Amino acid sequence: MSLKSLTRDWEAMSYGFLDASAKREIRRKMIKAVAVPGCQMPYASREVPMARGWGTGGLQVSLTLINPKTRVKVIDQGADDSVNAASIRRFLARVSGAPTTLDTLEADLIQSRHRIPEEKLREDQVLVLQVPNPEPLRPVQPNMSVARQMHADADYGRMWLQLYEQIVRSGRVMQGASYPSMVNGRHVMTPSPIPRWDVPKLHMARHLTILSAGREKRIFAVPPYTRVEPLVFDDVPYKVEEHGALTCSRSGAKGFFMNEIPQDDGSSKYEISDSEYGVKTIRHADGEEVRLGETWYRNGEMPA
Amino acid sequence: MLKTPIPSKTENLANTAFDALIRSLSRPGRIRDLPEPGETPIIAALLDRECRVFCADPLLMPQVLASGAMLSEIEEADHVFLGALTDPDALRPVRLGSDLYPDDGATVVVRARLGEGQGLRLTGPGIETGETVRIGGLPDGFWRLRRDLVCYPRGFDVFFVDGAKVIGLPRSTEVEVL
Repeated sequence: MSLKSLTRDWEAMSYGFLDASAKREIRRKMIKAVAVPGCQMPYASREVPMARGWGTGGLQVSLTLINPKTRVKVIDQGADDSVNAASIRRFLARVSGAPTTLDTLEADLIQSRHRIPEEKLREDQVLVLQVPNPEPLRPVQPNMSVARQMHADADYGRMWLQLYEQIVRSGRVMQGASYPSMVNGRHVMTPSPIPRWDVPKLHMARHLTILSAGREKRIFAVPPYTRVEPLVFDDVPYKVEEHGALTCSRSGAKGFFMNEIPQDDGSSKYEISDSEYGVKTIRHADGEEVRLGETWYRNGEMPA
Repeated sequence: MLKTPIPSKTENLANTAFDALIRSLSRPGRIRDLPEPGETPIIAALLDRECRVFCADPLLMPQVLASGAMLSEIEEADHVFLGALTDPDALRPVRLGSDLYPDDGATVVVRARLGEGQGLRLTGPGIETGETVRIGGLPDGFWRLRRDLVCYPRGFDVFFVDGAKVIGLPRSTEVEVL
């Protein structure tokens, strides 16, 4: 054994920023997360040059999966051009040499904050969601150790009670985003603060979804073709936002999740939240040759 | 100006191997290609000083030791390399984790012959309706023992390796022996 055999060649920076041992730890945890869908696996969550709470969890997963051939798309609330998304995309490209794209259909790896693209993802694509608060039980049980025991016992009674109280007080379920959902009939997870509109897209989806919370140091996953069922009562069906009839004021796209833009006169205009889909719709209308993928929602309805 | 780092050979091996592993585990029963035959790429992708490893195959021992992993008894190991399995009871003491911490369940690597031998029908997460697969070279009683040991979410996850081919079988998969 020589010193040479024990050391590696000097590198200015580890490939993909994270060092090899950090990647191996995340890999081991990702394997367990896929094996037990929806169950939160603790991991170390290393420092990355970004403040915790700004997508460091998703970033670490992306950095582990990335190689120079991975085409990356990053979105923030559906938009490719927000500061957070643009910064993460530039960082990923810089430390890995990976090509980037804005088009959902071209991407191999999609890191997202709080949205799932409107176009259906394929089997070979991986969606990485940034999660601020991975514990669905936190509103009903602030003690993490007790919450873990509740997950172990599949004791979700308080979750149901919370939804029931909302219906009694307000006449409807008030949970707007991160709607608690049962994964594979066993673990309740929070699907990160994606709108209710996006939760059905996870159910029996063709792609792998990895959810990672950097600040809270938890990772969980939804493998392809896995049941993801929002918690609902038999007599109060699950309702998505009523955006099905709205039209985007810029692109004319209809039947997708919209951003509401308040106007001076008190009225509202709407703009499609999945910005690149809006851009493609405009290009298509201008007669350019663009490929619009199959979308999850058709005419504002999710086909059963 | 920043220079983009170029992946080293080890980084490439680990990255490609993990890609095959995570995809094989996400779609149980589908055969994926490892970048190199045998357990080498799996060791490169997963093992380091933080792991406790049980290794039944003496030929594999130098590689496991080179990764820096600590050798341990099978009851304590988080990664178990069984080589070619002859006695299903070798699997019995493997770590299954707990309902509180299912991630303590072990990752088991077994040599098998993929695409021949015992016919199996798989259902569960990662499988749309049902997947039929043939895995040979396993001792009699292996599937019965797996069914007895795995009590979801407690259990262990297996990678079946045949040369450079790999099949992942997470604990969430139901196996019906045909």
